[in-house]
Amino acid sequence: MAVGMNLYSRGDKLFALATSVLIGLFTVATFYPFIYIAAVSFSGGFAAAAGKVVLTPVDSTLAAYKYILTQPKFWISYGNTFIYTIGGTIMSLLIIIPGAYALSRPQLMGRRFWNLFVAFTLWFNAGLIPFFLNMRDLNLLDSYFGIIIGFAVNAFNLILLRNFFESLPQSFQEAARMDGANDFQILWKVYIPLSKPAIATITLFCIVSRWNGFFWAMVLLQSEEKIPLQVFLRHTIAFLSDDHEFTATLSSQPYSAESVTAAIIVCSIIPVLIVYPFIQKYFEKGILLGGVKE
Amino acid sequence: MSGVKLEKIVKAYGRLEVVHGIDLEVKEKEFVVLVGPSGCGKSTTLRMIAGLEEISAGDISIDGRVVNRVAPKDRDVAMVFQNYALYPHLSVFENIAFGLRIRKESKGHIEKTVKEASDILGLTPYLDRKPAELSGGQRQRVAMGRAIVRRPKVFLFDEPLSNLDAKLRTQMRAEIKQLHRRLGATSVYVTHDQVEAMTLADRIVVMNDGNIEQIGSPMELFMNPANTFVAGFIGSPPMNQLQGNIEKVSSGLQVRINDTVIDLPNNTNVEDGQSVVLGIRPEHISLSNNEGTSAMSISLNLVETLGSEALLHAKFGEQDMIVKAETNGQIDHLSEISTVYAPTDLVKVFDAKSGLVLSEPFSQGSNT
Repeated sequence: MAVGMNLYSRGDKLFALATSVLIGLFTVATFYPFIYIAAVSFSGGFAAAAGKVVLTPVDSTLAAYKYILTQPKFWISYGNTFIYTIGGTIMSLLIIIPGAYALSRPQLMGRRFWNLFVAFTLWFNAGLIPFFLNMRDLNLLDSYFGIIIGFAVNAFNLILLRNFFESLPQSFQEAARMDGANDFQILWKVYIPLSKPAIATITLFCIVSRWNGFFWAMVLLQSEEKIPLQVFLRHTIAFLSDDHEFTATLSSQPYSAESVTAAIIVCSIIPVLIVYPFIQKYFEKGILLGGVKE
Repeated sequence: MSGVKLEKIVKAYGRLEVVHGIDLEVKEKEFVVLVGPSGCGKSTTLRMIAGLEEISAGDISIDGRVVNRVAPKDRDVAMVFQNYALYPHLSVFENIAFGLRIRKESKGHIEKTVKEASDILGLTPYLDRKPAELSGGQRQRVAMGRAIVRRPKVFLFDEPLSNLDAKLRTQMRAEIKQLHRRLGATSVYVTHDQVEAMTLADRIVVMNDGNIEQIGSPMELFMNPANTFVAGFIGSPPMNQLQGNIEKVSSGLQVRINDTVIDLPNNTNVEDGQSVVLGIRPEHISLSNNEGTSAMSISLNLVETLGSEALLHAKFGEQDMIVKAETNGQIDHLSEISTVYAPTDLVKVFDAKSGLVLSEPFSQGSNT
């Protein structure tokens, strides 16, 4: 290479600069809420309520954490969230993996219809009230099982995994069939081990969606002892905001609705932060593999 | 008798028929190669024998039992796939043992059988490796190992060497041949490479457009092609095919091509004036005027040197032809050549319309 030769044009450099600036802004916009919530959770109640916290805690205190960690309902709802997340994710995988395998098989009778049937739900669904009535008629209201089974199948995850299965060479399946394997053995011994990235991806999707599940839990669950953390969070905000005695003496309280909310959010984020690094390598790979046919 | 019999086999996808009622009998311990151009139906035929494709009509029998509706696993056949189909997450040992584990064979039996197969195939040092850590040839051997351990009645090979480079292909070809001799299993092998077919087969089945054009030993097909398709497909380079007309003269039969007449064997079944295709193998054409030859004036376009031999690309009138000549270490003299000689007793005559052979077959002492 000649000395001084410029490999990049001015346009390339401008593009790189603009990209870096945009990614930087996006990172700040994504990361700042975490910093802000953490700072609020460690701030004094009045400072948090008055909006004085920007980046670091003001009037630092652990009062908000002390308040929530001594609430038995916090621990019950935390436990419930684990039940819904673990149970729901296992249920989802139990249905989605064999379902995706079946939909990927060319010999499945009515394959096009079934695939269309699943894809249809990506754009259309029955809506809030019919779904609620359906759950009521199935006696699934206010039940752990209702939440776990009612949202077990997600069409997007099903299609993602089906696409991955379809991208595996047909000869794997044919060779296994000739060796005497049935469909369950082919799925268990060949397809699942070869699909770890895709399965890790949908597992993480399921975990995150279950962990953050709020709306339907609020609609379908009435008993306090069955609600997940996200619904407990809402109840706490409502409770503290409606407590006029508490709000009247806010300036002398060590915590406020805002700091307690932030503390619950911080507590709820921790498990996902712990799980993510273990699945991340598969997650990034799986996102690509699902869509790209090798 | 662990042979394979195909009777009036048809394969159709909807209205599109791709195999048109073929008949074939593969004898016990025989190595039969299905060869033909892409899309001729050879792989489909193999997959129908394997049970991976349903047949639309006809009967397939393995070992005397009709298997039309028998699942692949119950046909007692093993298949080596073009892309090897090795499971990337399993070691070489586990890949070879896969079928035995599925059949719930005992641990001792699995270890003994895998060891025997790996010894035969020279895979013993690699048993703990994953397929990604093997060379192309080793992967191919693992795929064969997976087939061997099952001790099937019939081995099926679907273009197993087409992903290998030329040198490795030659080596693996010899290994497959040796393996067949050693195991003596009935084998059906699919390839589009006529050299592979010629070197491996006890009998070759030439397929074209869903039909069988000819079945015979490699030398039968080489010396006595049944039609112009087989003549053009078997042999490298293929048989020269020159358009001409028959002339019956007092001295015998001749074919006239432009201003040249070429003598034919007298037992050729032709009519005076009949349009024919004269077939002459490039290696049968002589550079010297021996007895029983007819002279052909050519204009040379190109000399391709192969080492011990050279290919002379030439025009004979308006028609292309190739001559294969010995070099004896010298090629300069070849570019001077303007006349070559067609041996009367080795030329073949085909009907110009139907493409079917009109010459009597050569009798041979040995076909293989």
